[in-house]
Amino acid sequence: MSAKMNLIACLIAALLLGCAVPTMADEAVDKAFDALKTYDWGTDRNVLKPLDDAVAASHGDAAARAALAKQLAAVLGTDATQAAKDYACRKLSLIASAAEVPAIAPLLTDDKLSHMARYALERMPCDEAVAAMRDALPTVKGRVKVGVINSLAVRRDAASTGALVALLKDSDAQVAGAAASALGDVGSSEAAKALSGFVAAAPDSLKLVAADAYLTCAERLVAAGKKLEALAIYKALNKPEQPKHVQNAAKRGMLAAMSAKK
Amino acid sequence: MSRTTNTRWNRRQFLKTTAAGFAAVPLVVPSSVFGQDGSVAPSERISLGFIGVGMMGQGHERGFLGYEEAQVTAVCDVDRWRRENGKTVAEQTYAARRPGGNYRGCRTYNDLRELLARDDIDAVVIATGDNWHGAATVLAAEAGKDIYTEKPISKTIREARAMVEASRRYGRVAQIGLQQRSTAEFIKACDLVQAGRLGKVKIVYVTHAGTSADVNLPVEPVPDGLDWDLWLGPAPWRPFNGRFHRYGKPPHVVPWHFCRDFGGGNLTSNTVHAFDVVQWGLGMDESGPFEVVPPQTGDYPSLTYKYPDDVLLQVVAGKLDPQRHFIPKGWNANTGLQNFGALFVGEEGWIHVGRQGFLDGFPKGILASATEPESWHPVKNHHQNWLAAIKTREQPACDVAIGCRSTIVSHLGCIAHWTGRALKWDPVKEEFIGDAEANQLRRRPMRGPWRI
Repeated sequence: MSAKMNLIACLIAALLLGCAVPTMADEAVDKAFDALKTYDWGTDRNVLKPLDDAVAASHGDAAARAALAKQLAAVLGTDATQAAKDYACRKLSLIASAAEVPAIAPLLTDDKLSHMARYALERMPCDEAVAAMRDALPTVKGRVKVGVINSLAVRRDAASTGALVALLKDSDAQVAGAAASALGDVGSSEAAKALSGFVAAAPDSLKLVAADAYLTCAERLVAAGKKLEALAIYKALNKPEQPKHVQNAAKRGMLAAMSAKK
Repeated sequence: MSRTTNTRWNRRQFLKTTAAGFAAVPLVVPSSVFGQDGSVAPSERISLGFIGVGMMGQGHERGFLGYEEAQVTAVCDVDRWRRENGKTVAEQTYAARRPGGNYRGCRTYNDLRELLARDDIDAVVIATGDNWHGAATVLAAEAGKDIYTEKPISKTIREARAMVEASRRYGRVAQIGLQQRSTAEFIKACDLVQAGRLGKVKIVYVTHAGTSADVNLPVEPVPDGLDWDLWLGPAPWRPFNGRFHRYGKPPHVVPWHFCRDFGGGNLTSNTVHAFDVVQWGLGMDESGPFEVVPPQTGDYPSLTYKYPDDVLLQVVAGKLDPQRHFIPKGWNANTGLQNFGALFVGEEGWIHVGRQGFLDGFPKGILASATEPESWHPVKNHHQNWLAAIKTREQPACDVAIGCRSTIVSHLGCIAHWTGRALKWDPVKEEFIGDAEANQLRRRPMRGPWRI
């Protein structure tokens, strides 16, 4: 029997038995996962191409996507290199679900991998991803903390409001500034109240950051139909102690708020 | 909006530290003295800072050094050789114009936040890599500077929109380096297309196909004098390799654009100029295509965009291929498409426009006009247009909102390539329809402390 006939016979037998038949693509993916174990900066990027292709091909196939995400997340808990985990996080940013959050979250406190953990979590639509970043906030410091705050800002996480308000008094000016900006993005009445005090008391190095956060908050409030609260912010910023461009931004904001439909 | 913490310098602090250098230089004043904030306007010079002085930035610097109404007072680059070179070029240029042949008044910075904190700088020219355009522009707007940003305006769709929002919030004059908006042949071509000279437009062709890829280059030592961490800025960390950035004088334009972390390849680096012309000619400056189809999928051999009214835009490699593309009447298939230009094909003929005055059409006479409006013969180039807009507070020729829309066309093409599927796009909501993964690609989480 020829090799071709052998293959056909095997396929028919497998189908009759209801077995999954490993395809060449499956084998290539397995090989790529093996390669990922030793993948490092400078390794030929093509060794991971089967994984790229598998992720792309899994669009619309929830089961395939879940299986790939599970395997990629498993890499994060190993002693694989930073480059390998960097790769896994990039792919997880597109295909991961809540099931992968526990594997990604520990990386948030790792100076070298925190950004890539956020790269995944910030993009993932599930609430669990946001919660993981919120939970990590008290345990991280410096630039890593600023990054986590920035991701919570992108997600406009209202549940972080209390923590962010507390961080306005952080001794690290970058952290305090990031917290102010994040509160602006949250854009709630509570955030506005906190920012009101921060704008008045901010050190010189944070005055523009504070004003910008307050302006952002006002825009969010207008969008939420809270025009009066927004107008109060604009009025507060349209003062001589603010730079001209901030005063002008406040004037423009007032006009926009007054003409808003809501 | 923006926002990283910075150490703010006020004018007094700056003058104190540079008093010697400024003692004998012409007065440089902020734009407020032009009367835009209600004060008297003595029409003094615009103080310019340069952020990024690689090949493109150096070209801009040399250009702006030629205008009496501007004064280059600061240069920022994470590459020490480049920033020192930028300072030397400015100071030698100004010194040569002075009787004493001496000038010291251009300060250098490694960190853009320190430059932006100077109250005496009115406007900035941002010619960093694409990776930095979004964050730098937003920071500049927040600092109250007027802005000239190189194209493509951003690395992602979300960044592009944030740049518009920040510029609008602070009322900044924000020009994008899509300079064909200030060039006669493009103005004429787009006016004619918009005026219906071609009848109904059916298809537009542009060239420079292809996007960037994920790459992994060998680790090389960071050259002394290069701040690699700041070079990376908002991008994910990766080790240095000289293919991304050659320390010192750059070998060519946008060397990093093949890497997806830093650019979008041809589609964002080159084709964005052509996309800008297409958007303009089709009257789509406030909108865009509603579908993008990657190459070799469906009915289209080339990257294809669908615009309203059954207009197609196709990105081809150099020339139209009779086996793959519609060849309009009167078109020689051996003709190469103009770099950065466009071939508009309509029911009544075609118009082909490119740089250096290239303008062709079919049938003969389609380009003829009994009278030519003054707008077809701009007296100001793109730099001058921006400087004039700073004084008048009018919108420049390629306002950031226009550049945003044109750059989004590039990003849509990249995302179609990367996902490998046709994508429906809502140009009003600026979101893909029914494709969560594509929507996730509209933005990229930034490395701390950077954000937009």
